[in-house]
Amino acid sequence: MAQTNALNWFLHRITGTFLIFMLITHFWVQHYDHQAASVTHEVVTEKGEMPDYPEEAKAGVRARYGEDAEVTPYQVVMQRLDDPVYAVLWKGFNILFLVVALHHGFYGLNNVMTDYIRDPMGRLIARALSWTLALGLLIIGMYSVITAGW
Amino acid sequence: MAVDTQERPSASASTDAPAQQEGRVQRYRIRTGMFAWMMHRLTGVGLVVYLVIHIWGLTALTDPETFNALIAKYHSPLFKVGEFALLVAVAYHAMNGLRIVLIDFLGWSPKQKKLFWTLGAVTAVIILVGGWPSLYALGEWLFGPGSMPTFFL
Repeated sequence: MAQTNALNWFLHRITGTFLIFMLITHFWVQHYDHQAASVTHEVVTEKGEMPDYPEEAKAGVRARYGEDAEVTPYQVVMQRLDDPVYAVLWKGFNILFLVVALHHGFYGLNNVMTDYIRDPMGRLIARALSWTLALGLLIIGMYSVITAGW
Repeated sequence: MAVDTQERPSASASTDAPAQQEGRVQRYRIRTGMFAWMMHRLTGVGLVVYLVIHIWGLTALTDPETFNALIAKYHSPLFKVGEFALLVAVAYHAMNGLRIVLIDFLGWSPKQKKLFWTLGAVTAVIILVGGWPSLYALGEWLFGPGSMPTFFL
């Protein structure tokens, strides 16, 4: 593992620790907060059928978009993002989350690949390809986060 | 496979005799720490694959119709099972990772057996409490509305 150094080893543990706290926040907002969660505890089987939302989510959407606003997953997310303060915090959090998760994941993946790929050329190719993929994901992820709600 | 074999021993570790050799592939004795490490790798690679799909999927945020269709798909039975599996992988990887950090940074290696089982119990609680909404949803779909206890939902 010629390219691995102590700084990356250290960073992997730091990013991992950060991810625990960020994941707790992420899960809470996206899955457990009754007003904010776009994925609810409901199974929808019909194609094109939308999930039903808790009263808190419906009230939140209607308060922002009017009494006859449709409560769709998109609207449930947008009720939060239409608040400028929340939107800035949310975008900042998610960009940080994206960078930390990608670094942690792809550094770990490279550790695994270095263990199993024995040919130096193969290692170089695997490393180049994986970090190119990570960079691509960073760009499209940033695009999604920044433009969400515009 | 990456393990060293008799045909191709590793260049540096030739003086360290492996624990046991049977046939072509070295066999390791799988103890608690080894099992934890193997699972950490497996869940780690799985989570990277999920991360790629997740970031790619979220490009749907730029269009309401696409996003609604995506979230509706996330509510299908198969995705609910996947959601639970994802939580299992995340909870395991996070708690085992925490164990590694505590051992590396705080020097908790003398307590590592105890640490393993304590964090194992914490992981089980996270999976049960955190995974309940997914299990509840699957149960309601399988056995009909009102068939599952709501608990804290």
